[in-house]
Amino acid sequence: MSSGKPRIVCFMCNWVFCNETESAIHQEHQIPFDVNTVRVMCIGRIDPVVVLETFERGADGILLIGCTPPDCHFVEGNLHAEHVVKLLKKLLALTGLEPERLELRWSFPIEEVKFIQILTDFAAQIQKFGVSPLAGERPDEKVLLNVSAAKNATADFRLRVLTGREKELTENMNVYGEKISQEEFNALIDEIVKAEFIRHKIHLLTRQKPLSVKKLAVIIHMKPALVLRHIVDMRRKGMIALDRVEETTPLYRALEVQ
Amino acid sequence: MATGTLIHTKRKLPPCSAACPAHVNVQGYVSLIQRGKFREAVELIRKDMLFPAICGRVCFSPCEDACARVNLDQAVAIRALKRIVADIEREHGQVKPEPIPKTRTEKVAIIGAGPAGLTVAYELAKLGYPVTVFERMPEPGGMARYCIPDFRLEKFVVANEIAYIKDIGVEIKTGIEFGKDITLESLWNKGYKAVFVAIGMQLSRKMNVPGEDLEGVVHVLEFLRAVSLGQHVDVGERVAVIGGGNSAIDAARTAKRLGAREVMILYRRTRNEMPALPHEIEAAEGEEIKFHFLVAPKRIIGENGKVKAIGCIRMRLGEPDASGRRRPMPISFSEHQYEVDSIIPAIGQISERSCIPTELLDEKSRRGLIPVDPITMEARIPGVFAGGDIVTGPASIIQAVGAGKQAAVSIHRYLTGQDLKAGREEVEETTWVKDWESLGKKSRRYEAPIQKPRLSFEEVESFLEETKRKAMFEAFRCLGCGPCSECLAGVDLCEGDKAVVDESRCTGCNTCAIVCPFGAIEKNENEVAQVSEELCKGCGICAAHCPERAITMQRLTDENILSCALTALRRGDLP
Repeated sequence: MSSGKPRIVCFMCNWVFCNETESAIHQEHQIPFDVNTVRVMCIGRIDPVVVLETFERGADGILLIGCTPPDCHFVEGNLHAEHVVKLLKKLLALTGLEPERLELRWSFPIEEVKFIQILTDFAAQIQKFGVSPLAGERPDEKVLLNVSAAKNATADFRLRVLTGREKELTENMNVYGEKISQEEFNALIDEIVKAEFIRHKIHLLTRQKPLSVKKLAVIIHMKPALVLRHIVDMRRKGMIALDRVEETTPLYRALEVQ
Repeated sequence: MATGTLIHTKRKLPPCSAACPAHVNVQGYVSLIQRGKFREAVELIRKDMLFPAICGRVCFSPCEDACARVNLDQAVAIRALKRIVADIEREHGQVKPEPIPKTRTEKVAIIGAGPAGLTVAYELAKLGYPVTVFERMPEPGGMARYCIPDFRLEKFVVANEIAYIKDIGVEIKTGIEFGKDITLESLWNKGYKAVFVAIGMQLSRKMNVPGEDLEGVVHVLEFLRAVSLGQHVDVGERVAVIGGGNSAIDAARTAKRLGAREVMILYRRTRNEMPALPHEIEAAEGEEIKFHFLVAPKRIIGENGKVKAIGCIRMRLGEPDASGRRRPMPISFSEHQYEVDSIIPAIGQISERSCIPTELLDEKSRRGLIPVDPITMEARIPGVFAGGDIVTGPASIIQAVGAGKQAAVSIHRYLTGQDLKAGREEVEETTWVKDWESLGKKSRRYEAPIQKPRLSFEEVESFLEETKRKAMFEAFRCLGCGPCSECLAGVDLCEGDKAVVDESRCTGCNTCAIVCPFGAIEKNENEVAQVSEELCKGCGICAAHCPERAITMQRLTDENILSCALTALRRGDLP
């Protein structure tokens, strides 16, 4: 944001993007910053990995714009996007980036005025947080590690399955005939988000060099017993292996997951 | 816009398109309207059907009857949308189409410039045939031009649609009568290789009651045609219209506009059996036209050679007849009279037998129909095809268009020496929606666009903007319940994008099947996800959720999206 303009990437649903929206974007005086739009078929098309990678590469803010429910050309793509954004905000809170750097907003093709309002409001919101710690030549290494860990977590099976099935699990019954309430689900996902984030962080750390539980506990500010529990889980999943034992301390090394 | 061809082929259609006799890509143009692409929407309609503005006004809209949205609240107002886009195009200045070059030498003659004839002319002209349309009346358009009154379909609308077909290079010769100025013989002699007969049903059926030849009895088609031609027609103070079809309603409403104080419609069944469109009946009621049901004319009473009254008897409904409607039975000793100045019988139409070659005619048919092969529209003489009202009896514009499209395929095959019947495509209705309950869509009803007040100084442009907005809102009510509509609405982005499963990575977790809005993904016998080509609409929601990231989109992959995002970021860095 050296030039004073926030670096914002705006993912947009193809169906909110009509001729009117396009001309609104090109009328520069209406918008106080460059809108860098990426069109996708449906806002539900946005993979959480793509969002986090964009943050990793230094975006100050990411705005997702979809069709106002209940209208969606793909029935409920906008609701899927809602689930994904909820997950991403939880992860961002853990990384040290402000969760408000990511927003999901609803629009409608012909409402250019509202559309411009959304963009200006978001720009103002990003301006408050300032430049992203990951922008520029020398990104903040701690935050970078966190965002990378979060990205890897969203690329992994567990979180993706849960976000994909959120509606099914909370509205219908699972295969055992149990119904999970929204509160239970939220509690569950909070717990899993934290666990997955830590595991992927451990994975990234031990990829650089083999580390002991104690060392890891210091780096990620966690009780060694808890770290060990994660390591046990990770070994079972084939994410990590014992590298060597130094004196009496075992050192762990990340395994490459395909 | 990219011009890539779509990857998939489709024979299954959404309910609306399947119900339309011309199989207009309804879901496609509604999608285009959603995105505010009005001009493209009209072009898409024109690909299948030449008359967007006419059908937008007077079509009986089988598409709306088939619309699946009724399961939630109310059908999408497809006809209104079609009219709006056609009108927007006209108000913004229609682009004159380029003439289509005539790449073939076989001349085709079309007799009758009604909807069926013009459709065949249009379809064949698109294939490069030199086509000539012969029309008896001074203006082309057929029933749409002469027998639908102005208050339902203004003449300039018809003229505008016909200007389009003239512009692409179809020759229309008016004032030429079949059977008199030209015959099949003379056409063959002039070198025409195929003839399409679409002369319609031009005469009104007689009631066959005493007094029908009195002054003051005007049969419906003659009445409507005379009014259309601007002739002076005096209907007097009180008018009785006999019949319950759309033309009866049209005649009654026209008579009212000509100054009749009292107009009544006499129909021998009840309101439920009336063939007229419900909204037309309501409009007639709104104009204070009286309906007398279960009444049949018995005789016409005259005085000094002029109509004085109509004598009728009461009816009751008996057993259902062949048409499925209950047969009216006369009640004895129920004769009564209505004092009237003129009578307009509107009880049906017949063809002008005299102009049809006897070999073509169905001798048994009382109405003088031309029998044809139901699939190929081939008549009894080789090289002669027929369609429209002359084959089906009085029907609708869109049915005539449907018949015309079939006939055009046959004529092309006939002239190129192909088999007429082989591989004729049957369309099938399909929708991905299996359970309407769980669709989770809120009910939202049709909001009619604001009526433009006639004779106002209101600015046209702002009115159009308001109408556009309403149209887009309405288009968003479409559930897109059919397969991918090939609307090309998102083609600059999707180009018929499809999900592809990397089978080596799929673990069969079924998440994709759950997130897919269209039920396009199912596990196959190897417990691997399989994408149905037909149902996949390329939204990519499955790719965004696949836990193993085994699903990728063919065109808009995650890598593509990411690189677009990063390019966008770098662009932001530039001074």
